[in-house]
Amino acid sequence: MTGTDWAIRGTGAVASVGGTAPAVFEALCAGRTGLAPLRGFDPTRFRARHAYEIDDRPGPGVDVTGRATTWLIAAIAEALAEAGLSEDLADVPVLIGTGLRELRSAELWARKEAELTPEDLHFGTALRERFGATDTHTFSNACSASLYALALASDLLALGEAETVVVAGVDTLTESMFGLLDRVHPEPVDAVRPFDRNRRGVLMGDGAAAIVLSRADGPALARLRGVSVNCDAYHATAPDPAGITAAVRDAHDRAGIGPGAVDLLLAHGTGTLLNDEAEAVALGAVFAGVPGPLVTAVKSMTGHTSGGSGLLSLVVAVRALRTGRVPPTLGLENPVPEAAGLRFVTGGPASAELTVAQVEAFGFGGVNAVAIVRRED
Amino acid sequence: MAPVVTGIGLAGPTVGDPAHLLGSGVAGREDFDPASVVGKRGLRYKDDATRLALAAAHRALTDAGLLDDRAPTVPAGQVAVVVSSNLGNLDTVCAAAETIARESVTGLSPMDLPNASSNVVASSVAIWFGLRGANLMVCNGATSGLDAVRWARVLVGSGRVRHALVVGVEVDNEVVRRLTGAERLFHGAAALVVESAANAAARGVTARATLGRYERRAVGAVPGTGLWLVPERHATAAPPGVTPLDLSRRYGAASGALGVLQCAAAATWIHGGHGPTALATAGGPEDDATATLLLSAPGPAR
Repeated sequence: MTGTDWAIRGTGAVASVGGTAPAVFEALCAGRTGLAPLRGFDPTRFRARHAYEIDDRPGPGVDVTGRATTWLIAAIAEALAEAGLSEDLADVPVLIGTGLRELRSAELWARKEAELTPEDLHFGTALRERFGATDTHTFSNACSASLYALALASDLLALGEAETVVVAGVDTLTESMFGLLDRVHPEPVDAVRPFDRNRRGVLMGDGAAAIVLSRADGPALARLRGVSVNCDAYHATAPDPAGITAAVRDAHDRAGIGPGAVDLLLAHGTGTLLNDEAEAVALGAVFAGVPGPLVTAVKSMTGHTSGGSGLLSLVVAVRALRTGRVPPTLGLENPVPEAAGLRFVTGGPASAELTVAQVEAFGFGGVNAVAIVRRED
Repeated sequence: MAPVVTGIGLAGPTVGDPAHLLGSGVAGREDFDPASVVGKRGLRYKDDATRLALAAAHRALTDAGLLDDRAPTVPAGQVAVVVSSNLGNLDTVCAAAETIARESVTGLSPMDLPNASSNVVASSVAIWFGLRGANLMVCNGATSGLDAVRWARVLVGSGRVRHALVVGVEVDNEVVRRLTGAERLFHGAAALVVESAANAAARGVTARATLGRYERRAVGAVPGTGLWLVPERHATAAPPGVTPLDLSRRYGAASGALGVLQCAAAATWIHGGHGPTALATAGGPEDDATATLLLSAPGPAR
């Protein structure tokens, strides 16, 4: 649907590099990485020995349940505070995008290290306890989950089914996903190097992000102008440039812009061999014939925060639009040939006049989501 | 632009013919092989939830006149897939964590990678049938199935797609039994096709039921007259004029599949001329919320 123009009234974020949205943004602009030796898993069981974890466990090597839930609540509370809304969400839908839900808690339960009930797997129970929210929805849509949630929130506003929606994304490392990714990488991954020729693959990161999205006029941090969602219907784990290209063009159509209007691109940029190549090919096609936006990939510092990553990038984009500062892509020295035409921010933060930002998230199974955000004048 | 149900498909050892949803007593069990519905090719590394979902999806798409072999009869980008399952991939996740503890990551099979992602069922259905519209995996607890039907309605109502395939699926295995403590578990999938009444009329397909008001609240709505599909573990007696139907008693605890199974039953009941309205409710006092969805007889075709 065209004509999307919703107010982003508050933002919140938690990641390895910072505990609030401003702290995360400042850390990223300063080029600080959350990369560290594995904290919660027994590192001797893996080939990869690093990740981008939030350092909040009770002790080294001691893991506990419910960490994702804790960050989710913190990010939502921060977004509500910034929006000047109360913490009573009895009448406000809360849409959560997550790749891995509380499956880390399930792993601890399976290993008889913790208790678990089926209600602990999704986030509704905790959201009701803390915010009195009952119209809560946990979407487990791989790595594009939180932008998918954003698309559905936008649809609820468009259909008049809500005036205000809280959208959030969250993920923590699971041993099963971290281990299976480790298993399939040709060589152990030591860092996420998006779009670099020497990238080895992806490492996961912990994180959460939240925004308050509203139909109402009035103060806004930025405005959501459109979100596209689609599915490659191509492969269980490999991306398809055609599906990504279609999603980007659909997002532009929804926002009523051409590719030349995009000033800033927060890429999905996972550092995997396949994603970065497919994403670069798609962007090359979309931005052919225009100078193209400044491009950055924050996973180079936050790691891949899975289903939460799209909204985390969006929160970064909102602050970039407001400040004109763009975090660099760490570790990107020699771009892949497919990305040769892209204007990456490297070395340090960039400063620019920014009006329109594009935020991308793509997930396993070819689930693509692209959001367009505009600066509030 | 009221959304209607135009296709129903069930798959599993205890479900098949939608008419049997309205029966009483514990459902009988027959051997069921998803390959008998969708063919063997490509099933090898799929988990149980995915196989059951594919079979139910095949039947619902066929029922709605949307399937030709393995491809949609309408533009691929106009069909969304919305799947609900809470426990479908729990066994893969838990087994991988146990393997890592026992043997390190070298003991893992790379073929398990897709199954470790909770959206494996939704994306696998899309890939199998070539459906390129929005693709959504709902893992929202006891209400998840009704929530999935609601989101299908939103995707159709907002104009993102013309048709939405909804699948609810859960599996019976040792891990799920241990977590839920349920004596009997539903092992199977239910699928629906949702589209606008206008679209159904234009395609010349029959609308079985209209999807009405949806809510997810602390306390469920009180049913009016008609069929009342009660939540799992439901204990309250039905008011006069209300026909209660407890599918979990007939099929076992169905978690994320329940709401879709309920809508399949409700649409079958309405289409069979038993009455004009049915209220599906999922989630009770022990859950984080109760979802309700009203289904009614479709208006005259225009």
